Amino acid sequence: MTKQYKTLGDDIWKNKVEKINAELFTLTYGSIVAQLVKDYEDFTEVNKQLEKMGYNIGTRLIEDFLARSGVGRCQDFRETAEMVSKVGFKMFLNITPAVTNISADGREFSLVLDENPLAECVELPDQALVDELWYSNILCGVLRGSLEMVQMQVDAFFVTDTLRGDDMTEIRVKLIRYLEEEVPAGED
Amino acid sequence: MANINISCIAIIGKQNNPLFIKNFNPSHADLKYHYIAHTSCDVMEERATMKAQDMYLGVLFSMEDLSVYGYMTNTKIKFITVLTVPDVIIKDLDMKNIFRRIHAAYVNHASNPFYEIDSEKMIKSKKFEQEIEAIGRGRALEGGNRNSLPATAP
Repeated sequence: MTKQYKTLGDDIWKNKVEKINAELFTLTYGSIVAQLVKDYEDFTEVNKQLEKMGYNIGTRLIEDFLARSGVGRCQDFRETAEMVSKVGFKMFLNITPAVTNISADGREFSLVLDENPLAECVELPDQALVDELWYSNILCGVLRGSLEMVQMQVDAFFVTDTLRGDDMTEIRVKLIRYLEEEVPAGED
Repeated sequence: MANINISCIAIIGKQNNPLFIKNFNPSHADLKYHYIAHTSCDVMEERATMKAQDMYLGVLFSMEDLSVYGYMTNTKIKFITVLTVPDVIIKDLDMKNIFRRIHAAYVNHASNPFYEIDSEKMIKSKKFEQEIEAIGRGRALEGGNRNSLPATAP
C-alpha cells in the first residue's frame, strides 16, 4: 500500500509538476519570515501569522493536489498520513518525511523531515532561540488548511526543529474530529 | 596542494568596514592583522581598477615575514589572506582555490535571511566561523555545503 503511494508521488513529481529554482524559493520564504520578525517583533505572533498564511495556502492547495493525483478517499487516518507524506510533500516540496509515532488509537502521527528546503542556509538569531520561533510553521498551517477541506479537523504543530539545535525536525499531527456535513438551518 | 600556512583571513565590506577577522597564528597580535587589513583596502581599490576582469588580485604587498593576498567581488566585498612566507613559490591556482572556498562560505552565510548585509556589523555566526576555521587550517570542506562555486579557469 505504501509502495503504491510512493510510486504515485514519484510519478507526479517527475511528470505533472512545474519546477522552479530552489534558491529562489528558499530566499523568498526567508524574506517573508525575516519581514514578519521585523514587523511583529514578538515571535509567538510570528508563529501565529505563519500558521495563518499556511492555512490559506492549504485550503487552495488541496484542490490542486486532488486534481493532479486523482486519488479517492482515504480509509482511515493512517492512510491519510501516508498520503500526505508520500504524495503530498513529494509533489510540492520533493521530500518524503517519515511517518512515525502513530498513536494506539490511530488518531495522531508524527512527520519527521530529514531535509527542509524552506530552511537551507538559515541560522536563527539568538532571541529567536530563546522565544520559541518555529521557522517553518507555515507547513503546520498548510496541513491544517488542506485537511480541513477534506473534512478532517486537525491540530498540527512543531515538536522539534534542527534550526533550534534539536536532532531532528518533527511535526505532530492530531486528529480532533471528522467534520460531518451540516444541514443548513431552515431545511428539514 | 603545497603546504600553505595561512596566518589570517579577513573580510572587509563595501564601506571598508571590517566584517570578519580570524587569526590562525598566535605569534602575531590580532591588532596587527587589523592594521594589515586596513592598509590592504587602498591597495585593493587601486588594483581592482587596474586589473579589470578578475576578482583575484594576487599579492598586494609583503611585510616582514608575511605576504598579503587580495580578492574583491563585484559587490565590493574584499577577502584578504595573510600567509607566512614559505620556502616554495605559491601557485596562483592554490590561492584562487582558497579564495573560492572563502567566497562560497560567505555566499552561504549571506543567504541567511536574518543576516543584514548592509548593517556594518561584524559577522557573528558559528557555522561561518567553523567553515573559515576549516579553510584556514587546511582541512577539507565538509560535505554539507549547499553552495559550491564552480572552479574558474586560471
